[in-house]
Amino acid sequence: MAFAMTTPSYPCPDDGDRFADNGVAADARNAGRVRDEFAGWLRARVGLDDVRFSDVVLAVNEALANVAEFAYRQQHGTGTVDLEAVQDRAAATLAVTITDQGCWREPDPAKQGRARGRGIPLMRALADEVTIDTSALGTTVCLRFDNVQAIVDADAKIG
Amino acid sequence: MDEQATATNSMTTTAITGCVISEEWFGRTVVLGASGVIDMLTSPQLEASIATSLKKNPTAIIVDLTDVDFLASAGMGVLVAARDQASPDIGFGVVASGPATSRPLKLVGLADIVGLYSTLDEARAALGE
Repeated sequence: MAFAMTTPSYPCPDDGDRFADNGVAADARNAGRVRDEFAGWLRARVGLDDVRFSDVVLAVNEALANVAEFAYRQQHGTGTVDLEAVQDRAAATLAVTITDQGCWREPDPAKQGRARGRGIPLMRALADEVTIDTSALGTTVCLRFDNVQAIVDADAKIG
Repeated sequence: MDEQATATNSMTTTAITGCVISEEWFGRTVVLGASGVIDMLTSPQLEASIATSLKKNPTAIIVDLTDVDFLASAGMGVLVAARDQASPDIGFGVVASGPATSRPLKLVGLADIVGLYSTLDEARAALGE
């Protein structure tokens, strides 16, 4: 029922330039697992220095954590999350889309204690662009990172 | 070819995404040394360890994140909550350096709130007796 939201409109790249993990049960354990798998792909396929690598992994983690913590509160905490990362070699960008079919809103900082609510500010500080699209069908967070170079190696063509 | 056995040097076996926390006292200063990953799954461990240490009436508490590979906002929230919950006359400090820990703490403006130090020696010199 949410097909339109789970299909990002990026140009179709080589397989080595794309990472996807779809339909994952949205909980804390899976948020960590998907983050680690994404980090493995990022390390192998995308040429980033240590600071940028940490920044991207943390931003993606915060988006996954938001879904795990907030998206399905009204559905007894059950629902799924989709992650898709696409590297555009020509534009030197990396776009990571995190999609859920739940319901959450960007929290109002005024209504929170200072110990909470840093996920979205972190994403905005770490990514070059953050868009959060909320509809009745769910929420899509898109994180874009600029000046991202692909790792060029022979293996990238295999498969 | 069992190389994994020799590659593991920590005293506690944890999952890849796990977190290990040790407690060490220097006089009335307690140092909680964390290693691994502090995210939404493991941050309750850090929260519980801090709460346990605070019950022993330290004069200062230092959370050492030197060996932490990944710090998420959930972990940052625990640090801020701990600072807020501890009595104001208890010294509080966080040791962190590097892109995965001190950088995000600074990015969201928490360095001053939690008291950020780049080494444990520096934190102990500032907070210890």
